[in-house]
Amino acid sequence: MILALEIAFGLIALAGALSAALLKDPYAKLIALGILVSGALPFIVDRGYLDVAIVASLIAPISTIFVLMAVRRAET
Amino acid sequence: MNTTFILGLAILLIGVFSVAFVRPKTYIARLINLEIPGWGLLLVMLAYDEALALMTFIAVTAISTFVIVRLMEWRDASC
Repeated sequence: MILALEIAFGLIALAGALSAALLKDPYAKLIALGILVSGALPFIVDRGYLDVAIVASLIAPISTIFVLMAVRRAET
Repeated sequence: MNTTFILGLAILLIGVFSVAFVRPKTYIARLINLEIPGWGLLLVMLAYDEALALMTFIAVTAISTFVIVRLMEWRDASC
């Protein structure tokens, strides 16, 4: 990959991980987890594993939906 | 390989410390933090070129998240 793109996506992934670790609100944690996934997926695509990228980008929102159900159930 | 490996190790360390020292001590926050080292471990596994291991790891992580969410709702409504 181009070096500038590597640095940009690496910084996006690190920002997502740090904000998901430090934030307190569960919804904010889930949104930061989405940022982490969007920073990590271009590295999978860059290695040429398009099937793994398809599986990851299909399954990551599904697990987010499951956790979102639990968060909503816990807040009421 | 080098960039992916180092980035994966960094995210793995951030995730492990955030799971160990979770701030609001609830099951939900710990479960959401547990997804961070999963992605770090995925990036480390990506550096070693095993496609089948990557797909199996993603699928098993999603299924275990679903099972743990069901278990938390069954055990205790005030997670």
